[in-house]
Amino acid sequence: MICTRRHAVWLGVCAVAFVAGSRSVLAQPTATVEMRGSPRGVRIWYDPVGLAVSPGTTVRFINRDPGNSHTATAYHPANYDRRQRIPTDADPWDSDFLLPDEHFEVTLTAPGVYDYYCLPHEMSAMVGRIVVGTPGDAGWEGSSNDKSDVSEEVLAALPLVQRILSEGTVSREDGS
Amino acid sequence: MLRSTVFAFGFIVTAAPAAKAHDEQALANAPAGDPYVKVSDVLPLPEFIPGLGTLFVDPATLPAGPFLAYDRDGRLSATIYMTPFDDLQNGTSFDGLNIGSHTVSSTDIYYNAGHPGVDKPHVHVVLFHDENAKDRLAE
Ligand SMILES: [Cu+2]
Repeated sequence: MICTRRHAVWLGVCAVAFVAGSRSVLAQPTATVEMRGSPRGVRIWYDPVGLAVSPGTTVRFINRDPGNSHTATAYHPANYDRRQRIPTDADPWDSDFLLPDEHFEVTLTAPGVYDYYCLPHEMSAMVGRIVVGTPGDAGWEGSSNDKSDVSEEVLAALPLVQRILSEGTVSREDGS
Repeated sequence: MLRSTVFAFGFIVTAAPAAKAHDEQALANAPAGDPYVKVSDVLPLPEFIPGLGTLFVDPATLPAGPFLAYDRDGRLSATIYMTPFDDLQNGTSFDGLNIGSHTVSSTDIYYNAGHPGVDKPHVHVVLFHDENAKDRLAE
């Protein structure tokens, strides 16, 4: 279940819709990525920043930062005309702004590497990477080689695919 | 990659008016009247932000503000300025900014990685208007 309606998220409709639809989701694998921030907003990050899941997994992004709002927005031309950093067959997603404790879900089926960012915090390198399946899967697409549409800081913040695959989840080394 | 113009109002740095004498009483309690708007009404932010309280701002003064910070009882507790690093570095100065109250007990200055409204990395300059203000804005 994907809550795509921008203002619905603000109004909490997304949360209600999720509860209503949660039974049908239970059979699928799920994973969670938290949006986090330090108390004064000095640092913000996704936890984990790198995540490996199997195809068909529903990933929930939830804002656990009480003082800020965040998005999870796939790098894709459909989202603010960005260069694509998700598999060709994948549907782009944009959570829009999530207030504290609000969440958004997306189900990822196409095998490959998905990079996403936070709309108000990309300049602070708030980005994440999800690896769906493994390079042996039919149709696998590896990470983007583009370096023109993202900053060096963003590229440095994205964990290597191999590391995500071997560790399952990658959190930032300073614990944040 | 600068995608900072996604919000309802832009962040055109306007020549700030010289600090004006104003009616402090009018700002002492929320809601601050026109031209101030409640930040959470126009941007996707919580109504009460831990550490900053409930913010009001005149959109014409963005990004610097002043942001007027009210506690949960609606009492003016701090005046906050937000100044992006790259604006400062590029030579923009923010001068003669208004202030919510002329009584200031202490000041905090710290880094913020960005939030809707001022999404570039910036500095928060927080002028507290009484000694308990920081505690009341904390949560
Ligand atoms: Cu963010």
